[in-house]
Amino acid sequence: MKPPLLRSPDGLVAGVCGGLALHLGLRLRVVRVLMVLLALAGGAGVFLYAWLWIFVPMASDRLAAPLRFVPPAPTLKAPPAPALFLPAATAPPSPATPHPPSAPSEPGNAAPPVAGAFLRPGRRTGGRLHPGRKELLLGVALLLLAGVFLAQELGFAVSLRQVLPVAAAGVGAVLAWSQLDDARREGLRNKAGADRAAGLARLLLGLVLVMVGVLVMVSGAISWDLTWATLLATGAVLAGVALVLAPWALRFWKDFEDERAGRVREAARAEIAAHLHDSVLQTLALIQNRAGSEQDVVRLARAQERELRHWLYADPAGHSGNLTERLRALAGEVEDSYGHPVEVVAVGDAPLTAGQEALAQAAREAIINAAKHAGGTVSVYLEAGPSGSEAFIRDRGPGFDPLAVPADRLGIRESITTRMQRHGGAATIRSGPDGTEVHLKMPEQENRSHDG
Amino acid sequence: MTDEPVPNNPPSTVSVVVVDDHAIFRSGLRSDLDSRIRVVGEAATVEAAVAVVRARRPDVVLLDVHLPGGRGAGGAEVIAGCGDLGGSTRFLALSVSDSAEDVVAVIRAGARGYVTKTISGAGISDAVFRIASGDAVFSPRLAGFVLDAFGTAAVASTGTELDRLSARELEVMRLIARGYSYKEVAKELFISVKTVETHVSAVLRKLQLSSRHELTRWAAERRLL
Repeated sequence: MKPPLLRSPDGLVAGVCGGLALHLGLRLRVVRVLMVLLALAGGAGVFLYAWLWIFVPMASDRLAAPLRFVPPAPTLKAPPAPALFLPAATAPPSPATPHPPSAPSEPGNAAPPVAGAFLRPGRRTGGRLHPGRKELLLGVALLLLAGVFLAQELGFAVSLRQVLPVAAAGVGAVLAWSQLDDARREGLRNKAGADRAAGLARLLLGLVLVMVGVLVMVSGAISWDLTWATLLATGAVLAGVALVLAPWALRFWKDFEDERAGRVREAARAEIAAHLHDSVLQTLALIQNRAGSEQDVVRLARAQERELRHWLYADPAGHSGNLTERLRALAGEVEDSYGHPVEVVAVGDAPLTAGQEALAQAAREAIINAAKHAGGTVSVYLEAGPSGSEAFIRDRGPGFDPLAVPADRLGIRESITTRMQRHGGAATIRSGPDGTEVHLKMPEQENRSHDG
Repeated sequence: MTDEPVPNNPPSTVSVVVVDDHAIFRSGLRSDLDSRIRVVGEAATVEAAVAVVRARRPDVVLLDVHLPGGRGAGGAEVIAGCGDLGGSTRFLALSVSDSAEDVVAVIRAGARGYVTKTISGAGISDAVFRIASGDAVFSPRLAGFVLDAFGTAAVASTGTELDRLSARELEVMRLIARGYSYKEVAKELFISVKTVETHVSAVLRKLQLSSRHELTRWAAERRLL
């Protein structure tokens, strides 16, 4: 299959030759030499190059295009490989240009490349001109200068009055056209404000240079009076045209903005789809496999619910290292291992000091006991604040007599009561026919004591 | 103390409208409900819900917090749309959501209670009877939200102050957050179940009417209001 005609992102001038070489299956050098020969043949090559420059899209433009049709999750697994221009295939890869990300091959990686297509311009804004391009432009300018001098030496009367306006107009045109190229390249990406200002400055500078150049050229031939009159007429005509085209331009701009917003939405949706695919769909598949075992199904569903809740509602500020988060994580572990739901209600929060960690560990033991011996739902209530924290672990099992527990059972005494006392806290256990409740209390002051 | 009319006997049958956008959940709920509860209508969107509730005038509406349609406000919008029906129709919010934003929005819109969708059939039937007789239904999680919003130390000098919880209300909320049923709360505090219900109703009213600045800030932190 022939690769599509796209401009290479790391070409010398605009990547036309590189794209042409790949498209035609020729060597890059051959295409370049042909182009130069054509350019010498009456400038045909220059026109061909300019024509291709304008009408052939950049590889990076095309890269972003398939995004519009990204289907939801399941098909993300194997998206149609977007038609990528791969510079590595022919031209030597330039370190300044990151390669287009390869097609996502596994579901877990589905989201990053999508985001990558949007984030890429950030890396490029620094060096607008490619390494070779600056030298090339300088070389062309010097060659032109040499040509002018040579013409003067040979006897042609080339005055600066004639050359400077032409040069000014030329430079202005180049500036304006390079702006178009960049605008097209960055059209579908998020442009930073500074970028836009720079582009505008470039456009204005180009406009002024061209106008001044043309004016100076024209004013040599006709009188100033006529020039001013013509200028006025031209201005009036341009204003009229602008008036007519304004609604169309505005609509075009609105469509463009809509499309960009749509792309951002699409990216967010792709991320959500990827997450759901990784988590929820996998769990649903597992649940279908284990439909026979009620306990497995409940366990899977609860674990998935916890994971999804965390993803949806977790505080973006991040409370990692706090007591609430710690207790929730421990409760989740117990829930996973014993298959009984553990409902955690937390009020307030506290930093996870040694004392609060002891409380969390003691609470974990109490939750395990409840899950193991009582079954059913375990209710955990945590109230934390600057003065200390309290936790209640309640189950609805048949209950037991705390005093009748044999002395060799370390569970309650060692891991709950003694642990709390060691850190200056207290644990009380109430048990009755309605269930058991473990009350843990840890004041905040004596939390830097030794840990056993 | 009891400034709200609380009927002594729960009505023998209660008519309900089930509003949820999942047909599977609606039919599951229908079969789980007590035989004394009559489902007189179902709806899946905000507009359909308002229409059905207005046509049927049920005692209780079981209302999903998240609903398609309308202006996107879900269950709260249904309650607002039925605001002129007076106190004859009461709303019980059902949700899988954990976010304080959703729960408090629907309570402040006027729902008389909030339970999670994982509740058992007996549990939801009990909650429906309780709502129908004018009481409020608090799940442990909602009690936790209340304690978080009003603070666990702020104590009102009188029971009627809107911006704070009284000492007794605080105790009741704590016990509910710990997973106690109303009956167990009553036993624990040596008061009657009726008194517990009064306290819970008072807390619900405060949650709905309070303009207390901590509540505003608390809600704003969770992107509400």
